[in-house]
Amino acid sequence: MADDTQKDSQSHAPHAAPEAAEPRPHEPQHAPQAAPPAEGKPPEPRPADARPHEPRPHESRPHEGRPRGEARPGESRGPREGGREGGKRGRRGFYRKKKVCRFCVDRVDFIDYKKPEQLMTFIQERGKIVPRRITGTCSRHQRWLAEAIKRARNIALMPFGGAR
Amino acid sequence: MEERLYDLIFILRPATPEEEIDKMIATLEHTVAERGGKVEKKEKWGSRKMAYRVKRHREGYYVLMVLRSTQGDMVHELERRLKVNDAVIKYLTVRLDEDIKRQKRLQQRRERKAARRPRGGARGGGGHGHPAGGEQPAAAVQQQQ
Repeated sequence: MADDTQKDSQSHAPHAAPEAAEPRPHEPQHAPQAAPPAEGKPPEPRPADARPHEPRPHESRPHEGRPRGEARPGESRGPREGGREGGKRGRRGFYRKKKVCRFCVDRVDFIDYKKPEQLMTFIQERGKIVPRRITGTCSRHQRWLAEAIKRARNIALMPFGGAR
Repeated sequence: MEERLYDLIFILRPATPEEEIDKMIATLEHTVAERGGKVEKKEKWGSRKMAYRVKRHREGYYVLMVLRSTQGDMVHELERRLKVNDAVIKYLTVRLDEDIKRQKRLQQRRERKAARRPRGGARGGGGHGHPAGGEQPAAAVQQQQ
């Protein structure tokens, strides 16, 4: 019996080591993605609406069965419900907070280019439009948003490059 | 041609005197009326900082006019006038009626949907699969070793 437990603890050790090391390579992946919104900008939609999802048990499901290295967190091809990034490491495996399109939540039918204050949250420091994999905007609204930003740029309401 | 809706924004040099601005808007309105258009709205946003420098100016006096017209050459004429005027440093005309139409359509669709399904909580979360659920198969594998 004592033999058994020893064996058990031994078998634990080698297994636990790669387990702990596994999520490491992911970390640099999501770190830079999370960075751009933090660059002196008003908070992104993510933190606010993502938190309530944290305790949901089924969020972790799509990812835990995935063999390591099969799908990287940035471009996961797993089920959509897992959101895209802002990764949060659980006890085992990886799960992401689900991001929701801010415009869909607010039921926006038209994005006005004449209100640059609202659009400013969707450009980076150097004036780039933030990709939707980061903001979580749905494709339709991202399309409208991009158009609105481009119109606003043309009439000097928003910068083409960095704000000068 | 069907009726179209346009946004016309132009930026004037910040040093332009107020009465000249009013005069300019009046002439533009006149042009619109001449071409069978209608001025829905005119707004003077006043002097505001521009996102980048235009003709060495950091600030500009913004004026917005919302127009309605069935004649496409109204826009041509207005833009020609703006181009000729020295006080104007930038202008933009945007056709809006299709966006507005789309907006209306979406609104209607939503209302229809809301009428059809009055408050039905369809939030059934498939709650299978716990975070701890993955632990068990792994533990079983370990015991087999």
